[in-house]
Amino acid sequence: MKTINVKINGENYTREINEDMRLLDFIRDELKLYGTKEGCGEGECGACTVIMDGVTVNSCMVMAFQANNKEILTIEGMEDEKGLHPIQQAFLDEGAVQCGFCIPGMVLSAKALLDKNPKPSRKEIKEGISGNLCRCTGYNKIVDSIEKASQYLEGEDQ
Amino acid sequence: MKKRGFGYGCIFYGTGYGNGFPDISRSIAELDTKGHINIYVGATEVGQGAKTILGQIAAEALDVPVEIVTLIHEDTSITPDAGTAAASRQTYNTGNAVKISAEELKKEIIVVAKGLLNEDHLEISNGVIRSNTSDKTLTLKDIAEASGGGFLRKDGIFQANTTEMDPETGQGNPYWPYTINAYAVEVEVDTTTGIVDIIRAACSQDVGRAINPSLVEGQIDGGFAMGLGYAIFEDINLDKGRIKHNRFTNYLIPTALDMPEIEKIIVEDPESTGPFGAKGIGEPVMIAAAPAILNAIYDAVGVRLTEIPVTPEKLLKALKKREG
Repeated sequence: MKTINVKINGENYTREINEDMRLLDFIRDELKLYGTKEGCGEGECGACTVIMDGVTVNSCMVMAFQANNKEILTIEGMEDEKGLHPIQQAFLDEGAVQCGFCIPGMVLSAKALLDKNPKPSRKEIKEGISGNLCRCTGYNKIVDSIEKASQYLEGEDQ
Repeated sequence: MKKRGFGYGCIFYGTGYGNGFPDISRSIAELDTKGHINIYVGATEVGQGAKTILGQIAAEALDVPVEIVTLIHEDTSITPDAGTAAASRQTYNTGNAVKISAEELKKEIIVVAKGLLNEDHLEISNGVIRSNTSDKTLTLKDIAEASGGGFLRKDGIFQANTTEMDPETGQGNPYWPYTINAYAVEVEVDTTTGIVDIIRAACSQDVGRAINPSLVEGQIDGGFAMGLGYAIFEDINLDKGRIKHNRFTNYLIPTALDMPEIEKIIVEDPESTGPFGAKGIGEPVMIAAAPAILNAIYDAVGVRLTEIPVTPEKLLKALKKREG
């Protein structure tokens, strides 16, 4: 057993965990945050994407102890007291969600991209979400919504 | 060398179970005590948008705001059977059942309203019951209260028209209705690596009538992506009944970088038996992509591939064979 301190969605958690626990299982089973999905479980599909210290990671490929003293954002942390995050709102407005299983990961990849590059080209958006597989949408409306989110966020800053 | 080519694919596709198999959807429309409409259907929402468009169909049939319609679905203890979310059949089949139940409920609401107002010529307009001969009105809540605080409920059943084909003559009426589309793609083939890149695409899709155009576009994008994977990437690699490509490292599906921009053309030619003219497109949107891509590869490099997926290895082999 090992004790870790992790800040997730702004809250500090101290937990005793098994050394072989994945970050994905820590988030879902230990903290009961079920927005993060498990797809392939081997780092190929991006469904379990979370942001750790500003960088997207596949939480199935990170051990929970590696998150010690790190700051993590999951889909549950996107919404605030004002409501949905502009990226989430843009996904709704553009009709970018079909079955929804890839969407938490897509939204977090979009956030990591827009944090670094607030006005990406469509090519840059496609590169930014190329680690997130989607079987339903054909991606185009997701790309549209990230473009729209970029406009929403620019509007917020002004 | 990189070579470009154009290709087209056209299909027609019969929706519904077909070939005489009973294809039945059931719905219940209810006016609840708050004056809101509840629709009960066993239809499953898998992301295709059934939940959205069935609510729209009910609102349109009743002439009430869509915001007061709640769709209650997938709970088999309280919803009637609406068949599977398969065969591209929910919009057409269950849409018809929902429309019938909503129309029956509307008739019942008018009957109650006639008794309350002592008027004969009544209609529902944007959720309010109005008289055509006076300025008397009633709300749906008035109707709910007048019917003893109970719930007004009406059933709708729709059975698709399908007969078994005659095995001798091949004649019959296996499917109703048919959905038609035509896709065009431009590809770029790298003759050194065998990699095929889809540069752009245009997809024209007959939908009868688009109940929700944004959802139709989403279905076209998604169908094209699956057709693209089917045409050039996705190989399960069966070996003695075992799937050898059983992970995303070797069973490749398209990523955002593989998808072209798609010009989506929605063709509306209302189907007389469809709910407000609508037909299903779930499967049809996928089918034309692979033939269009293979035709474009032929146009680009002059080799006719007859086996999918057209992986770089297969394409290079075919190019080499042609050169002899």
